[in-house]
Amino acid sequence: MAQRLLLRRFLASGISRKPPQGRWAPLISRALQAPEHSPGELTVTSSHARPLHTTRVCTTTFNIQDGPDFQDRVVNSETPVVVDFHAQWCGPCKILGPRLEKVVAKQHGKVVMAKVDIDDHTDLAIEYEVSAVPTVLAIKNGDVVDKFVGIKDEDQLEAFMKKLIA
Amino acid sequence: MSIFHNSVDSESKSKFLLQVKELFSSLGVEYNILELDQVDDGANVQEVLSEITNQKTVPNIFVNKVHMGGCDRTFQAHQSGLLQKLLQKESTYDYDLIVIGGGSGGLACAQEAAILGKKVMVLDFVVPSPQGTSWGLGGTCVNVGCVPKKLMHQAALLGQALKDSRKFGWEYNQQVKHNWEIMTEAIQNHIGSLNWSYGLSLREKSVAYVNSYGEFVERHKIKATNRKGQETYYTAAKFVIATGARPRYLGIQGDKEYCITSDDLFSLPYCPGKTLVVGASYVALECAGFLAGVGLDVTVMVRSVLLRGFDQEMAEKVGSYMEQHGVKFLRKFIPVMVQQLEKGSPGKLKIVAKSTEGPETIEGVYNTVLLAVGREPSTRKIGLEKIGVKVSEKSGKIPVNDMEQTNVPYVYAVGDVLEGKLELTPVAIQAGKLLARRLFGGRSEKCSYINVPTTVFTPLEYGCCGLSEEKAIEIHKKENLEVYHTLFWPLEWTVAGRDNNTCYAKIICNKVDNNRVIGFHILGPNAGEVTQGFAAAMKCGLTKQLLDGTIGIHPTCGEVFTTLEITKSSGLDITQKGC
Repeated sequence: MAQRLLLRRFLASGISRKPPQGRWAPLISRALQAPEHSPGELTVTSSHARPLHTTRVCTTTFNIQDGPDFQDRVVNSETPVVVDFHAQWCGPCKILGPRLEKVVAKQHGKVVMAKVDIDDHTDLAIEYEVSAVPTVLAIKNGDVVDKFVGIKDEDQLEAFMKKLIA
Repeated sequence: MSIFHNSVDSESKSKFLLQVKELFSSLGVEYNILELDQVDDGANVQEVLSEITNQKTVPNIFVNKVHMGGCDRTFQAHQSGLLQKLLQKESTYDYDLIVIGGGSGGLACAQEAAILGKKVMVLDFVVPSPQGTSWGLGGTCVNVGCVPKKLMHQAALLGQALKDSRKFGWEYNQQVKHNWEIMTEAIQNHIGSLNWSYGLSLREKSVAYVNSYGEFVERHKIKATNRKGQETYYTAAKFVIATGARPRYLGIQGDKEYCITSDDLFSLPYCPGKTLVVGASYVALECAGFLAGVGLDVTVMVRSVLLRGFDQEMAEKVGSYMEQHGVKFLRKFIPVMVQQLEKGSPGKLKIVAKSTEGPETIEGVYNTVLLAVGREPSTRKIGLEKIGVKVSEKSGKIPVNDMEQTNVPYVYAVGDVLEGKLELTPVAIQAGKLLARRLFGGRSEKCSYINVPTTVFTPLEYGCCGLSEEKAIEIHKKENLEVYHTLFWPLEWTVAGRDNNTCYAKIICNKVDNNRVIGFHILGPNAGEVTQGFAAAMKCGLTKQLLDGTIGIHPTCGEVFTTLEITKSSGLDITQKGC
């Protein structure tokens, strides 16, 4: 696994901090495009065009879309990331998920959380050696620095976050 | 692989040729035989042959253009592993083994082959049912068979247990009712975890898994088409067909549009409501059973007999119990048309059925019509004709020899596609494992299809191992048989006030063979659990004497087999009077 992370980081450093092709385009166009209006109607002010970085910082929990998304928002993240590997059919995941989100939100942006559905993103699950769910990884500067499998209570999760932020 | 032979020579040479042919067949290797006496230049060829090989005798065998020798040398090479090495050298195939079908048989075979160090691929693809249902890796058993069936059966049993519980002192005021969606979601979640674990297991054993539809295009080559229609080609030295079967439709108006099958039932997102089950197979009766058990209005439409192929006395008892407990039976009718009266989840369907004995027709209105009229092997559209694999015209099943080998030496088959073999998960698993061991592990053990136990999980369960009474009479003749039987009343049913004189146990003994137990039948709760142990005993050659010498565990249902006394031939009454 260590080699894979190294590879990811190497790839990341090789590519300049330029957003991956295509994926950001819609976001940009949405943000910059003139808000919807039809002829004759009043045009809404440009306050609708929000800069991208604001949108990202507001989301402490997000769903991973694909491999490049993971690379970008988790491995390359400056903020430590908690990765919640879960599945639709997993009962304990449904309990842990909201609990994690609550504890992450309490950290006021010092930690963010990425959610990965292992059936939708089996390749990611394989890469990070996830066999049972829920599996939660703590990733800091592209490295897995902590991990647990199964349910934890709020106190245990708080401790997990504290350790990650420190 | 070339074998030079001369059949004019003595008998012993033919024996050697036969031995060599058998060896190559068992290894799944194709061979060409050149009979020198039938070739124009035969004598000359034989001379040249002896010059280049220093061998004057036949059979004279070449493996991948390397001279092997005669029969003895070939067998020696097989023992030492040299033969396998020579055979592998030609292998420029992508894989040692490709398994088409990721169900019970396919996965077992693939994983065993991988454990033995082979490069293996599994292709699994579920063509959506006419209603659009699909599922993940694992095959019928995991997704739309044994697993959800048993869980829904359990749901029904729990409903019965709740009813019994009051008699055992449990007091509650709530009206107990069943929520179909909660049950189905929970079951589907478990299936999801199984799909994942199967994928994980394949990855851990380095088996390549592709979610694509596999079909043969030419010798040793298949085309894999994924959901998006992208085609990839793969080659392998050997193939195993494990594509299983899918529910059959009736071929009547409205069947595919409006009816559901077991493929759809276990993930149906809404309660089926008032249901008509068409069929009398174990699928039909088990489904009808648990649907009634969770409180639905259920009718079963039967064309002729119940549980064809099973012991008919037991089958009728199974049906009779269901009838006594609220399942309606329409015997000797077949549907001719299904019409939709109302759309919905569920909607309303009208079904018209015709009697098999006369001109009578009946009509009925149901929310759901479940067809369980048999299963069709998935062998018609996988390109078998392109490579010459023989498929039984009528049944669609694949005939194999006792090594699960088809008529094409490098193609094998396991599971429900096999002709004349039991359609059971453990049978497919065993066959798959042993096949892999024979192909790649140098083992020779064949799969035994004798005394395979099974259980029908109807509301009153029926477990059996060995022969039905009809089959036993057919094979051994009635006068050579002794049938011991008894009715029994499970202790748990007494306080609950449930039927006495309903549960039934029967063994069939072969008088000519030490009163060997050749048929075991039980109708009662936990029949599956009870039957499993006795199946092992039968494998050890259980006789009536050994059974009598076994002390029973009390109080259980299974113990009745240790005290069987009354024979059918005596005509004595087996009705139980009190404890």
